Amino acid sequence: MIERFTAEQSAQREWAWLLALYLFLGSLGGCLFLLVRLFGLPPSFAVASIGLVVLGGIVVLIKLGSPQRAWRAMSRPTTSWISRGVLCVAGFIVFGCLSVAPSIAALAWLPWNDGTALGIAFAWVAALFALLTTIYPGFVVSSARAISFWNTPLLPLLFFGYAGLAATGAVLIGSSSVPGGVARVVPWTEALIVVNAALSAIYLLVMKRTGGSARESVHRLNQGSLGAVYWIGVVLVGLILPLAALLWLTTAAVLAGACIQIGALLFRYCVLRAGVYYAPATLTPVGMDFSTLTRTSADFAHEYAGMAGNSAPGRR
Amino acid sequence: MAESTTPVTNSKVKWGVAVDLKRCTGCQGCTIACKLENGTPPGVFWTRVIEKEEGTFPLAYKVFMPIRCNHCSDAPCIPVCPSGASYRRANDNLVLIDQDKCIGCGTCVVACPYDVRFMPLSAHGYYGQTKVAFEQTAYEKWQKGTVQKCTLCVHRIDKGLEPACVETCPTKALVFGDLNDSDSQIAKLIRERPHFQPSAELGTDPCLYYLT
Repeated sequence: MIERFTAEQSAQREWAWLLALYLFLGSLGGCLFLLVRLFGLPPSFAVASIGLVVLGGIVVLIKLGSPQRAWRAMSRPTTSWISRGVLCVAGFIVFGCLSVAPSIAALAWLPWNDGTALGIAFAWVAALFALLTTIYPGFVVSSARAISFWNTPLLPLLFFGYAGLAATGAVLIGSSSVPGGVARVVPWTEALIVVNAALSAIYLLVMKRTGGSARESVHRLNQGSLGAVYWIGVVLVGLILPLAALLWLTTAAVLAGACIQIGALLFRYCVLRAGVYYAPATLTPVGMDFSTLTRTSADFAHEYAGMAGNSAPGRR
Repeated sequence: MAESTTPVTNSKVKWGVAVDLKRCTGCQGCTIACKLENGTPPGVFWTRVIEKEEGTFPLAYKVFMPIRCNHCSDAPCIPVCPSGASYRRANDNLVLIDQDKCIGCGTCVVACPYDVRFMPLSAHGYYGQTKVAFEQTAYEKWQKGTVQKCTLCVHRIDKGLEPACVETCPTKALVFGDLNDSDSQIAKLIRERPHFQPSAELGTDPCLYYLT
């Protein structure tokens, strides 16, 4: 509480684990659905992707202060990224279920499937909503102009990159259920690891050079417990270990996929926790202008001359 | 009550506060007055005085800066609200929260550059689960799991009174008034004294002026 009574820069406290988990599950589910279409994966992956998005919805309900009014979150799609996201998630769940339903044996009687015009239409609409579900979390975070570490176009790009990486990681985890194996997915995963590592480095470098609260965010991401989570959890476990496993230990695809999930979740957590507000108040770049006070700068200098002399190095 | 999500353009009244940094002694009188007037829960300070150290030895000094919701003309907390709970009162520029609509997502808390929005998740009082008589009455106004912030004592303004923090300030460091009225005391002070708005570079146009 005391930090709210000082002018020190402070990190936001509102968004932490639960929101990180929600952002992770939502974008993972959306992107996994896209990969099902892209790589022709079994329908079980599509069902899992919808399940992940629904799970994300449950997580965010737990996080809400007043979950009984959650339906109101759709009220302002013209200005609020949360509203847009809720509509996208709702659309994805509805059309995703309609698209996947005929592949479930008990629902095979439905009058559409992947071969009919209606089935194809459902699949395309679901894919569109899946894409929007994947990309909107980055915009939710980057739209906060109070936190310059987030308020950059690089962040949605990075979130999208990590969503893609997590989705390929999920395919690796479920590789045993993919006929013909996941050989096609492995190069994509390796490429995404490299791309995300490069994007992260660029992002942190840009934020460090931006200065102010963004620089403070980068500083916090490199020290203390958050620094340990970032460098061990995100970089080592989430990027280096899976890349090494995929390159030199091809039988460890499931382990690599699991590591990627840990890294992708921790990445979102670290970005959220490192979000430092603008300094609550700034006077002037060089401090208060003494000339506006009754006592001028010269008066102060004269008044404290003796004290300054006593403290000067080398004086006795 | 008419509501708006757009920035202030031509409202007749534009309430604002000027803070004379030369007068503020950091007594936290406004902090306590706000607590008493609005009965906010533990850990929630709609207005508070932050301390800032300036300069270097031997010319070091401390500046006290009262902060609260600035009722910004282009408030970043309003457009991000997904439920429409955060809104601007149309007949003046006051940024208010409809607790019956707030879902408690915390987006506005994160969006506010001044860190002056709060979401108390506990219904406890200052003395644990058992609330004292004052808390029992005061807390009835606040819904658990919704965001709250300074209303600039809208209930007092509507009665023609000044906000509690302004009224209680012993050094008269706080000046409240209509920024659109060129004859008001606050408008004159802003015209005559060197001043700045907090984090003005963010483009929020806060209705708060620090007089230096």
